Amino acid sequence: MTRLLDPGFNLTLRPMQYPKFYEMYRAAIKNTWSVEEIDFQIDLSHIQRRMSPADRHLIERLVAFFATGDSIVSNNLVLSLYKHINSPEARMYLSRQLYEEALHVQFYLTLLDNYVPDQDARALAFAAIDNSPSIQRKAEFCRRWTDSVVDLRRIATADDRRRFLLNLTCFASCIEGLFFFGAFAYVYFLRSRGLLPGLAAGTNWVFRDESAHMSFAYEVLRTVREEEPALFDARWAAQVLQMIEEAVECEAAFADDVLSGGVVGLTRREMREYLQYVADQRLTMLGLPIRYGSRNPFSFMELQDVQELTNFFERRVSSYQVAVQGEVAFDRAF
Amino acid sequence: MELSWQGRPGLDYLPSSPTLFNAGTLHEQLSSCFLLDSPPDSLEGVYEKYKDIALLSKFSGGIGIAWHRVRSEGSLIRSTNGLSNGIVPWLKTLDSSVAAVNQGGKRKGAACVYLETWHADIEAFLELRDNTGDDARRAHHLNVANWVPDLFMKRVEAGENWSLFDPKDVPEFPDVYGGEFDRAYAQAEAQGLARKTLPARDLYARMMRTLAQTGNGWMTFKDKSNRACNQTAQPGAVVHLSNLCTEIIEVSSQGETAVCNLGSINLGRHVGAAGFDFEKLAHTVEVAVRQLDSVIDLNFYPIATARASNLRWRPVGLGLMGLQDVFFRLRLPFDSEPARALSRQISEDVYFHTLRTSNELARLHGAHPNFADTRAARGELQFDAWGATPTNPERWRHLAREIEIHGLRNSLLIAIAPTATIASIAGCYECIEPPISNLFKRETLSGDFLQINGYLVDELKQLGLWTAGMRDAIKLADGSIQQLEAIPAELRDIYRTAWELPMKSLIEMAAARGAFIDQSQSLNLFIANPNIGQLSSMYMYAWKQGLKTTYYLRSRPATRIAKTTVAEPMPGAEPDSAATACSLENPAVCEACQ
Repeated sequence: MTRLLDPGFNLTLRPMQYPKFYEMYRAAIKNTWSVEEIDFQIDLSHIQRRMSPADRHLIERLVAFFATGDSIVSNNLVLSLYKHINSPEARMYLSRQLYEEALHVQFYLTLLDNYVPDQDARALAFAAIDNSPSIQRKAEFCRRWTDSVVDLRRIATADDRRRFLLNLTCFASCIEGLFFFGAFAYVYFLRSRGLLPGLAAGTNWVFRDESAHMSFAYEVLRTVREEEPALFDARWAAQVLQMIEEAVECEAAFADDVLSGGVVGLTRREMREYLQYVADQRLTMLGLPIRYGSRNPFSFMELQDVQELTNFFERRVSSYQVAVQGEVAFDRAF
Repeated sequence: MELSWQGRPGLDYLPSSPTLFNAGTLHEQLSSCFLLDSPPDSLEGVYEKYKDIALLSKFSGGIGIAWHRVRSEGSLIRSTNGLSNGIVPWLKTLDSSVAAVNQGGKRKGAACVYLETWHADIEAFLELRDNTGDDARRAHHLNVANWVPDLFMKRVEAGENWSLFDPKDVPEFPDVYGGEFDRAYAQAEAQGLARKTLPARDLYARMMRTLAQTGNGWMTFKDKSNRACNQTAQPGAVVHLSNLCTEIIEVSSQGETAVCNLGSINLGRHVGAAGFDFEKLAHTVEVAVRQLDSVIDLNFYPIATARASNLRWRPVGLGLMGLQDVFFRLRLPFDSEPARALSRQISEDVYFHTLRTSNELARLHGAHPNFADTRAARGELQFDAWGATPTNPERWRHLAREIEIHGLRNSLLIAIAPTATIASIAGCYECIEPPISNLFKRETLSGDFLQINGYLVDELKQLGLWTAGMRDAIKLADGSIQQLEAIPAELRDIYRTAWELPMKSLIEMAAARGAFIDQSQSLNLFIANPNIGQLSSMYMYAWKQGLKTTYYLRSRPATRIAKTTVAEPMPGAEPDSAATACSLENPAVCEACQ
């Protein structure tokens, strides 16, 4: 029996070796959404009338980061994950994830087009990766980890596999699991002030997708850990810790930039504390001891952990599924 | 008005949100709902309706509009010799129009379109809310509802075929119901007028799929809604649709736009030391009916057809909220026998006291002008249409005599609205619903708010079980306590969420209540992970139980957002602690069993 990281392009779907990945693929399909469903009307009037220049700076930076961030994740998916995770059902999931990343890019692209009416300012926002040092630094961090595996054609040795696992851990725990979680916090902070319902509605869906990406990556890590426990040694743990510390610093520097205008109700200190808190959670999820011991300062993030109940006539409900199965019957229990 | 004021500070009763939004403004449009008959099958008619809808929407009304009369795709347009594109492009335009006019700047415009099941464009109609396909044939902001004749459900059950028609060929269909509709339908089939014939179950399955995938495409039943409506005693008076929240059932026509003013009683505040306080309820109902009735005269009507209708029929819609609060206070499981009996009795009493008050108002100010055209004038009340008997027949006989003498001030009195906004204000559970979770996020226009089940917290505190660990455990379980063995089984039974209660009992309770609701109720149904078999069984049962309408089908996303504020360690990462949580093989180290 081949193991998940044994090099090759396994095509055998039956018997299915990792049905969990296939289930994740099917669940992802059910969560299909489209940018056209989101209503930005109210957001536009908020941006014009209810937001300060500091708030607008926050939004532009945030959306600019998202638009590039999802592209970076897509690239790594193709260059690294798809290549080395050797299971056809896992590759089905990754294909679906690739589509979702493109959808997220489309969402943030549409947002920037709508939110920044001035052509020059918009071009500047799209080029943020070149002209904003804080976004540049994050992109640099991501690029370094993508580059670390780009020359790996086959992960045959234990060392190669460790390199790959670090790359996977980085994208799950630091980029999707920390950078994006940081970004979500800004959105929900604004939402807690009653602002930008369109952005929040779309972000709910993006958040849901990203959560699934993260659980997929952790499921891969869990499986590999079961198959090849020796890969997860003390050196791996030390490298992960160092990587997460660096990611927290990058994201905290981004927060300094995003909040540089002085956003009422959100301080840099709180943001750093929140990032440390999230980082500790990632470490816990990886089975490693926590590093910071910080508490979550944002009560509004607690809202994201519980079921939503929307007045359908005020906002679009986001909790439906597509691809519903079955035939007409009159004797089923309900 | 003085009477009304005595109730409000205590939040025993709250008028609907449009009343709260607009009272004291320049244009006091205080009504919640407007129901418009289908535009006639002409260009001018359709554009007139767009205008009516925009004017009504401007002043915070939710819109229900039928579209049964507009010709279907491929139908010949004689004046140009062209073919019609059917109803979808019209509804796309309506979608944009509704989005453009927001309700007094306070809320997005909102409308629900009703279509009868025989309309040849029904299949395209059911796809309006899909998020795939050509966007020119999608209406993302409109709500859609099915106006279903009994004949369709019978054919679904019997596994027979169903025919679809172009309204141009069968212009009489929207204005007949019951046996008369069945005969007209059979005749049209015999004449070969059908545009398409398909197995009834195929269409039914598509309806169920739309419900599962969008929550929309509400099932509302044309024949029962007409048979059991007080306004349909005279031939020609027909209910053509329900409203945005499926709780209003009123006749409409080209000259009459139905209007309803709503308000709801906060039942949770009617529980005393000795149980439910029916005397207090009687008083609250009286205050509420007087307040609602006075809105009819004070109201600003954005369009003339609305005014015309409302002054003739004077309908109001008194609803309930916080039924779940009553059950929590009395520690009754939602679907237990005593809870069912109490729920029915509350509705019977509310109906009785609304009629009694409306009768007194008629004695003072006269009956509403159309009283002679109502079923009540013939001595028929709502429960007669359901074959139900009230628990206290003597008081009802007495009331019937009074109604015979003085009539009623209002043709309709009861409608159970969703109360999303005012339940938040009053701090109670919505209308007649169980909670979706013991811990949930309410998304509103003003932001998102965390709501926690205070009754459960009190119970757990008394048992010494309310700890940070318990809170996280409830959060991790998505607000359910069913798997938390530390909580006594009796409590777990009481605090089941909407996802954990059988929908069958919700439907039965709605039907028992329905005998005392002269309009209808916004009955949401909840299935976490729906499939077609389950849904088709459920809606067939709802129809057989005689419900007039059902509302949203709520379901849950296929995957969840990762928890931010509680960490779940990777399985396998910490084998030691995982095994200790519960290990039957090694009970000595298992703290859970000690």
